[in-house]
Amino acid sequence: MSDGRETLLRARHLVKEFASPSGGVFGRTRRFRAVDDVSLEVRTGETLALVGESGSGKSTTARLIARLIDTTSGSIEFDGREVHSLTGKALHAYRGEVQVVFQDPYSSLNPKHTVERIVTAPLLYQRRPIPGGARAFTGALMERVGLNPDHSARFPAQFSGGQAQRIGIARALAVSPKMIIADEAVSALDVSVQAQVINLLRRLQDEEGFSYLFIAHDLAVVRQIATRVAVMNEGRIVETGDRDQVFDAPRDDYTKKLLAAVPRIRPEWDAARRRNEAAREDRERKEAGR
Amino acid sequence: MSTAKDTAAAEPLLRVRDLTVAFPTAQGPVEVVKSLDFDVARGGALGIVGESGSGKSMTSLAVMGLLPKGAERTGRIEFAGTELTALRERAMRAVRGDRIAMIFQDPLSSLNPYYTVGTQIAEAYRSHRRGVTRRQARAVAIAAMERVRIRDAARRVDHYPHQFSGGMRQRVMIAMMLSMEPELIIADEPTTALDVTVQAQILDLLAEIRADTGAGLVLITHDLAVVSEVTDHIVVMRDGALVEQGSAERIFTDPQEPYTRMLLDAVPRIDDEIGLLRTTEEDR
Repeated sequence: MSDGRETLLRARHLVKEFASPSGGVFGRTRRFRAVDDVSLEVRTGETLALVGESGSGKSTTARLIARLIDTTSGSIEFDGREVHSLTGKALHAYRGEVQVVFQDPYSSLNPKHTVERIVTAPLLYQRRPIPGGARAFTGALMERVGLNPDHSARFPAQFSGGQAQRIGIARALAVSPKMIIADEAVSALDVSVQAQVINLLRRLQDEEGFSYLFIAHDLAVVRQIATRVAVMNEGRIVETGDRDQVFDAPRDDYTKKLLAAVPRIRPEWDAARRRNEAAREDRERKEAGR
Repeated sequence: MSTAKDTAAAEPLLRVRDLTVAFPTAQGPVEVVKSLDFDVARGGALGIVGESGSGKSMTSLAVMGLLPKGAERTGRIEFAGTELTALRERAMRAVRGDRIAMIFQDPLSSLNPYYTVGTQIAEAYRSHRRGVTRRQARAVAIAAMERVRIRDAARRVDHYPHQFSGGMRQRVMIAMMLSMEPELIIADEPTTALDVTVQAQILDLLAEIRADTGAGLVLITHDLAVVSEVTDHIVVMRDGALVEQGSAERIFTDPQEPYTRMLLDAVPRIDDEIGLLRTTEEDR
């Protein structure tokens, strides 16, 4: 690789067709191609953001890669193995190496299970021992994602949306994955909470060195977290590139249109605010020193 | 020299004073909107921003007299010289739709699935204009749909809501609103459920309509970038209370309250990666 990073995941010519609900006339099933010849790669330790609008196929692509659904055709190679042909123990192992964090933390966490049970479940599923015991293990993970370890016996409903999303992240971390698929993982959060979770996701990657496949429709969020960006439209990837290239010098017309449509706080207002805040801090320092 | 006419021109379109909304609970009343004051200038665009639980949507429902059962509203709401809190339901219904129009996040919830969009636009129009025939109302509906650039409006007028995409449904709602020629538009998260390219089209459409008709706008949203582009005056809310208000430029360039500064710091900027996003709590 040009930047020295190895390829962890390589998807080639992925296709996923669904039976179209409007078809079926004369007994012929119409097919709808949700993912149409998608090729992408995720390198070790990087964040590949897959962006697009609703119906672009980005979430279906993520579900194919997570093997939550089967491909119609194409190949997915992860860490040297062909994911499509994995069965039994090998598929089990793959599901440990690739974890998914979903958009709605409440619906993806069992409401009747305590945090401890939720967070240790992937280890039990993998039939792995829990290092140091469930209580200590859960407590340590909760601390790493910024939750109070004393709350390990609580249920999801007892946490705020941002905290519940941290539980989902802790669960993903439990099996030390090589890749985390974040499917709109910060989209449902209030802006102040969203910022905290973005900071957390970045810090965890710095510490652990795993990769993210980051599925998102919010381009401003993607700018904060991506190493590289792939833009999807109508089932196809229309542009892939390093983050700054895609944002600052997009090549594809659809990418340009998408970027132009994003509402922006005027940069000159941000600049004025920074000047005003610097002046305020200056004033406060002088007053304090008097 | 100040004349009576000048004073009239300076009168705001909507003047809200000491607006409080409370719900009775076993532990006593809980205030979800606390003593709120704000104005909407004639032709002005006011943004009400806040995170979830800030009371911004309750504020708009309170102005419209559409609060859920059990809610208690106090304070004054003066719209173009009329005190809305003093109106009976029948009179208030006449104000809603005819003079104040609303757009919500989910247009499906405001459209009847059993009637064509044309029928709904036409009937809404007829209910506020006496002596209009069905044929005339249908022509108004088609014209309004064309105005919001729904292609092939003469055919689409006979389609049902489910036959439209989310963005197109929001256009139908705007078309319905247009046929009323409202003086004030209250839009509660009107583009939150829409794709970003569709959002841009809907916001452009709203701006165009306001420029044409001079209607005032109250835009309720969690999206600071959207209010920064659309509105000229901003109210920041948190936990039902006013945090601060001012011109859009003042709020974005010189926020006075720590909460407003935190919100502005937390918004990811598409043009820049800003190291660690600043937030309320210390990130570990």
